[in-house]
Amino acid sequence: MEAYISGLGNISAQETFDNSVFLENIKKLNPPLAFCIEPNYKEFIQPIQLRRMGRILRMGVTAAAKCLNDAGVEIPDAIITGTGLGLVQDTEKFLTAVIENEEKFLTPTSFIQSTHNTVGAHIAVMLKCNNYNFTYVHSNISFESALLDSMMQIDEYPGLKVLLGGLDEMTETYFKITDKAGLWNKYYPEGQLPQIPEKAIAGEGATYFIITGVSNPENYAKFTGVSTFYKPKSTEVITSNMLKFLSINGLTINDIDLVLLGQNDTAGDSIYNAMKSGILVGTNQGYYKHLCGEYYTSSAFAAWLAANLLKRQVVPDTVLLNGKQTKPLKNILIWNHFRNINHSFMLLSAC
Amino acid sequence: MAELIEKLKAEIIEALNLEDLEPDDIDKDSPLFGDGLGLDSIDALELIVLLEKNYGIKLQDPKEGKKVFFSVQTMADYINEHQKN
Repeated sequence: MEAYISGLGNISAQETFDNSVFLENIKKLNPPLAFCIEPNYKEFIQPIQLRRMGRILRMGVTAAAKCLNDAGVEIPDAIITGTGLGLVQDTEKFLTAVIENEEKFLTPTSFIQSTHNTVGAHIAVMLKCNNYNFTYVHSNISFESALLDSMMQIDEYPGLKVLLGGLDEMTETYFKITDKAGLWNKYYPEGQLPQIPEKAIAGEGATYFIITGVSNPENYAKFTGVSTFYKPKSTEVITSNMLKFLSINGLTINDIDLVLLGQNDTAGDSIYNAMKSGILVGTNQGYYKHLCGEYYTSSAFAAWLAANLLKRQVVPDTVLLNGKQTKPLKNILIWNHFRNINHSFMLLSAC
Repeated sequence: MAELIEKLKAEIIEALNLEDLEPDDIDKDSPLFGDGLGLDSIDALELIVLLEKNYGIKLQDPKEGKKVFFSVQTMADYINEHQKN
C-alpha cells in the first residue's frame, strides 16, 4: 500500500500553518500546557459559522481548508478523521450546563457539537461533500486507525483523494483531571524552565493531509505502512514487532534513515531508551513531542514532520537526538507510544 | 422598556456568541432572522432557552415563535406581557 501526500495543513504549537516555511522559528514549549498558535480564522470561515464553533472545530476546519488548498483539491473523495477527544470543550460546556442548571435549560449548540465526528461532518457540510466520511476515536492510535482506513480505500481505488486528519484540543478541565493522574509536567516560574522536562507537556493540534494513490513529482512523500499494537510485555516484543513491520514493507532496520520517537523529552523513558540502545543503536534518532506536546493524535504531527523532512531533505538540529543527517532521507519510521499502552509504527518514504 | 431592550441585546449576543457585535449594533426593530441578524433555526432554540432560563417564560405555542422572535422589540414586548401576568 502506498499513499502519496499531495497536501498539508497543520495548526500546532509551532508556526506550522504556512507551508512555505518549515520550523524556522522554534518555540520552546512552556510546561505543563502548550496551546496551538492559531491563525486568523476569519480568512477561512464565514463569521456566521465561526461564532458557533469551538476551538478544535475552528482548528480542524481551517487546517483542512489549508490542506485542500495546498493540494488543489476542491471536494475530497473521502474525509477520514482521527481524534481521541473530539470536541471535548463543547462536551464539558454541555455537561457543566447539565449540572449547573439541574438538567433544565440545556442549550442545543454545545450538545450538537459535543460528538466526536463533528469536525468531519462540518467539513463535509461546508464543502457540500456527500462522500465517505468516517471518524476514528481510538485513544492514542486514532490517527493511525484513520490512516489505515485511508490507505485501504486508496489500495482499492488508487484515484481517490482522501482528506485525512488527526486532531485534538487540550482544555483546562481535561488537563486538571489528567493532571491528577500524574501525566503532566509541573509548572515552572518564568525563566526557570528545566533543560530536561520531568514529564510530558500537554499539547494539542490539528493536522490534515490529502493522500492519493497517484504518484506526482510535486508530492511531499508517501505513507507506505502503518501498524498498531497494545501493551507489549517487553522491549523484545516491540523489537520483534518493529522488525516484522519493516519486513512486511520490504525493509530492514538498516534501510531506516531516521526514526522519529514519540518520547516527551530528551531523557526519554525506559522503553524508548532500551530500544535506542538496542535495535535502534545504529539508526539516526529524532523526536517531535518537544515541538507539539503530548496528545492523542500527536503522531499526525510526526507524520507532517516526516513528510516535510523527506520533501526538503533537511533535518533541523532540534529534531535530532543523535548524530547528523549525512545521507539522503529515503525512509522514516515513526514509533509512538505514551505510557506503554497503545504503540504504533508509521512508515513514510520519499517519492 | 429601554432597559429591558438593552439587557436583552446583551443576552442575545452572549447566548448566540455574536462575538463581533455590540448591543448598539443591533437595531431593536430589525428582523433577527433572515435579512436582519441572519439567525437560523438553532439560534431559535437558543432564544427559547434564553426566555425560559432568564425570564421564566415558556413558549407554549410553537406557532407564536415567529412573531415573538421577530425582533428584539417583539421579544421585549412578549416578556413584558407575560411577566406581568
